[in-house]
Amino acid sequence: MLRVKNVTKYYGDFKAVDNLSFSVEEGCVFGLLGVNGAGKTTTFRMIMGLLEVNAGNITLYNKKIDYQVTDNIGFMTEERSLLTKLTVKEQAIFYGILKGMSEEKILLMLDYWLKRFNILEYKNRKIKELSKGNQQKIQFITAIINDPKLLILDEPFSGLDPINIELFIDVIKELKSRGAIIIFSTHRMDHVELFCEKLVIMVRGKSILEGYLKDIKKAYRKMNIIINGNVNKEELLKISGVISVEIVVDDIVVKIQDESIIDNVFKYISKCSDIQKFIVEEATLNEIFIAKVGESYEK
Amino acid sequence: MKYLLLRLVRVMKNKLVFLTKYSLYKKIKTKWFAIVNIILMLAIVSLANIDIIVTYFGGDFNKETVIKVIDKTDVSYDLFEVEMNNYKKQFNNIARYSFKEYDVIYEEKIISELKNSNDILIIIEEEELNYVKFKMISNKFNDQILYQILVATLNNIKRSIAFNLTDIPISELNRIYSPANIEKVALSDDVDRNMDVIMGTIFPTLILPFFMLVIIVVQMVGLEINEEKSTKSMEVIISNVPAQIHFFSKIIASNVFIFIQGILLVLYGFIGFLTRIIAGHEFSLTGNFGIELDEFWKQLVTDGVIDQLIYVIPIVIVLFLLSFVFYSLLAGIFSSITVNIEDYQQIQTPIIILLLVGYYLSILAPVFEGSFLIRIMSYIPFFSALLIPSLLILNQITIFDAIISILLLLCSIYILLKYGIKVYKIGILNYSSEKLWGRFSQAIKNKDNI
Repeated sequence: MLRVKNVTKYYGDFKAVDNLSFSVEEGCVFGLLGVNGAGKTTTFRMIMGLLEVNAGNITLYNKKIDYQVTDNIGFMTEERSLLTKLTVKEQAIFYGILKGMSEEKILLMLDYWLKRFNILEYKNRKIKELSKGNQQKIQFITAIINDPKLLILDEPFSGLDPINIELFIDVIKELKSRGAIIIFSTHRMDHVELFCEKLVIMVRGKSILEGYLKDIKKAYRKMNIIINGNVNKEELLKISGVISVEIVVDDIVVKIQDESIIDNVFKYISKCSDIQKFIVEEATLNEIFIAKVGESYEK
Repeated sequence: MKYLLLRLVRVMKNKLVFLTKYSLYKKIKTKWFAIVNIILMLAIVSLANIDIIVTYFGGDFNKETVIKVIDKTDVSYDLFEVEMNNYKKQFNNIARYSFKEYDVIYEEKIISELKNSNDILIIIEEEELNYVKFKMISNKFNDQILYQILVATLNNIKRSIAFNLTDIPISELNRIYSPANIEKVALSDDVDRNMDVIMGTIFPTLILPFFMLVIIVVQMVGLEINEEKSTKSMEVIISNVPAQIHFFSKIIASNVFIFIQGILLVLYGFIGFLTRIIAGHEFSLTGNFGIELDEFWKQLVTDGVIDQLIYVIPIVIVLFLLSFVFYSLLAGIFSSITVNIEDYQQIQTPIIILLLVGYYLSILAPVFEGSFLIRIMSYIPFFSALLIPSLLILNQITIFDAIISILLLLCSIYILLKYGIKVYKIGILNYSSEKLWGRFSQAIKNKDNI
């Protein structure tokens, strides 16, 4: 288990991370969410031992993270961390050896992952000759080439098209099924909802929300009802507990305070004609994020 | 626990070896290394054989100047012949000339022919007031050395004629003209050396290559660290190996590279020497003219330089090696605190200026013999390797001074290692120049930061 306990980090007088705590179990995908400058990258760098913590501690399997365990960690930085003059093979060997792997094992794993990402033909090509998306794939492969027990991914999906995002998510799920602890950061909440189980939302270095995604959604209570039919927007707004009514393409999205409001909305809809859709959904993570971060900024 | 620690040490040792090899191969296994070395080899071999190459392509440099003499005094040509033959022995390699006497009836013909040649006509006539007068006619007076020889010869002829007219016996004249007997006795142990020969040897073979290699090492270390830093690959590297290991790998690799490059330079010099021997020419370290190998060697033996080399060479090798380490450590630390390559190029300027100061001081050392300032500066690690070789050979310092310089250099390296690594550890993962010095000051003071 990875445990971050009451961690604080200062840059001079600026508090970048403020008393942050969370834990991630084996086989769990954990999302570190927040707007730019929230302290996500600083947290990753502290986990990797690149930055000293000013207070608190970080442990992996109850031991301080040091160079005795870093060979079992995979780290993908937000910005490209590839030596672009090297070929894909040379780059994989470079990072692989630094993770304590043998060259034979690196080449074996490299072939496997290059095939998996459909870029085997680029093995001997210089990284600078590759597209942004393929460079991102190489960076991801070098982070997982050692089959890490802890995988840290800082904005792993930036620069990727939807098909490759799907490919990345499949691989992340595969690593999760093998028991890896996976932490990642992203601005895209739809990605988080696809495979993330646990998360923390950070604002100005502080955790404002932490826990399992399903619990967070449940606790948030606010829900959405999607209706398609001949309904009156003004009438819907008159129902007690309805927060807002929006028209999205052909549908009407009704935001409600909690599930107790559903019955009242349904009663009104029953009276209307041409109803083709009535779907009750939990609030999206994006909504929760915006609501919680907005609240935090207002404070 | 002990097993885990031993395993960690072994793993880190392997990573250090890998990073060092990677850094070294990155410099050596490139087409540019091969191209640059081919160019260097061609340049050095060409320099060692420059006279052969110039001669091969032809020119007038072997053409003799013919000196035609019309002696209207009837006594001067014999004197002219003796004087000019003496000078010819002394300046055989520099001034090429022959001479011949002509009858006065050819004067006009010779003058008319002079316009199309480099020949010189000298007309010697009697003169009542000054005993004798000379007229020197040529199309152009290009050869200044030959001109000086002629002036000296004609002055001597005038004096001889003057002495003859004063009835001084021949034996007396011979004594007057015989070279002065000078007994050279040096009371000091310091031998008065031929500075030109010594500095002409030390500069091209030691100081200049060292200066060149230090500049290469300073640029190489800085640019490589900055490249890794600016691509953020540094974060991945440092998450797998401690900053110290990364730092040492760069220092070791750059020093091994410099060592290899130094050996290659020596090899190219040797190839130049061999090609010269094969081409049937003498080898000269002093610009391919003037002093040939035998003479040069005799000069070094006479001056006691050869005896000195027994201890000077090891001292110079130690100084050079330590200086390479010193400068590469400095470059590594500086590159870690800069944010990009442009910043590093600015920050390395003071290092290059310090090197230039040392370089020029080493040129000036023989001129300002016994300079207190130069001696003091030779103790400063930035200048030691540049100044000590010249000062030792010139006997301006003793071995004791050189050993003090080596100890000071070692102390500087220790300080750079002790505090520089702390700065490096903080610096390589820093991408902002805000409050930079405050952070480094804290890093140095922090006892846990090792």
